[in-house]
Amino acid sequence: MTYQDQMRKGTTAVILLHLLAELGRPVHGYEVIKELQRRSEGGFDFKEGLVYPRLHELERQGYLRSYWQESGEGRRRKYYEITDQGRQRLAEERREWRAFRSSVDALLGLDEAA
Amino acid sequence: MAAGLACEIDALLERLRAQMDLDGEREAELLEELRVHLEEAVAEGLAGGLDEAAALAQAARRFGAEAQVGRALQGAHAGWGTADAVMAAAVPVVCALALRWLVYAPDGTALGWPQLLSRPSFWLVAVVALLVPLLKLPRWRYALAAWVIFWGLTVLFGSAAALRW
Repeated sequence: MTYQDQMRKGTTAVILLHLLAELGRPVHGYEVIKELQRRSEGGFDFKEGLVYPRLHELERQGYLRSYWQESGEGRRRKYYEITDQGRQRLAEERREWRAFRSSVDALLGLDEAA
Repeated sequence: MAAGLACEIDALLERLRAQMDLDGEREAELLEELRVHLEEAVAEGLAGGLDEAAALAQAARRFGAEAQVGRALQGAHAGWGTADAVMAAAVPVVCALALRWLVYAPDGTALGWPQLLSRPSFWLVAVVALLVPLLKLPRWRYALAAWVIFWGLTVLFGSAAALRW
């Protein structure tokens, strides 16, 4: 597993929560993926199929809720939206990320350069 | 969507399904969600000027290896796995044991329905047993099956209380 893979694995949940919080409306999985690709401008390279297990985990943990809706042509789509619990988790993750980043920046001497 | 493309997507989803061991209802929902994703990805490729084969190949490449995605989905949904199944089976068994204790006195004599129904503890056990399916265990079918067996035994014990099993 590359360094980028490890970083991505550790941050996918908080990124998904942030995305859904910022969109502020229910979105389906494909839209989530397209929005991630658009915002990262290709820098956040990931296999699209692996986003679904993360969405499902977040849902099981109560951070997201979902519902099915007819989308025409007899198809249904599953939509996700963030819960209050998810927003709390996001706030905690953001705080932890800031603290972690500051520590690593200090260790690498990057805080002075910034 | 062309029939050929639909078949290819079916085949991809079938390979993915082979990596999972979830209950049928959950698997069907997962595959439905992923099918919509793949169809949309293929449609995007076609709209971008790719032919069917290239659009499908692109969608599959971006989607990721079926084995990897299937294992990740299994991991996301299996929950406690064995612990779930044990708990699903254990709760009704505990109820059955409690009922057995209620029905049979230490000297081996059994209560009939009239005496049993007058005991608050019997109703407590009955209500707990009724709540078992509400545990929403991923493997809830085990719980439901155990619950049905438990009530079958209850009726048997109650209607033939003189039996010593």
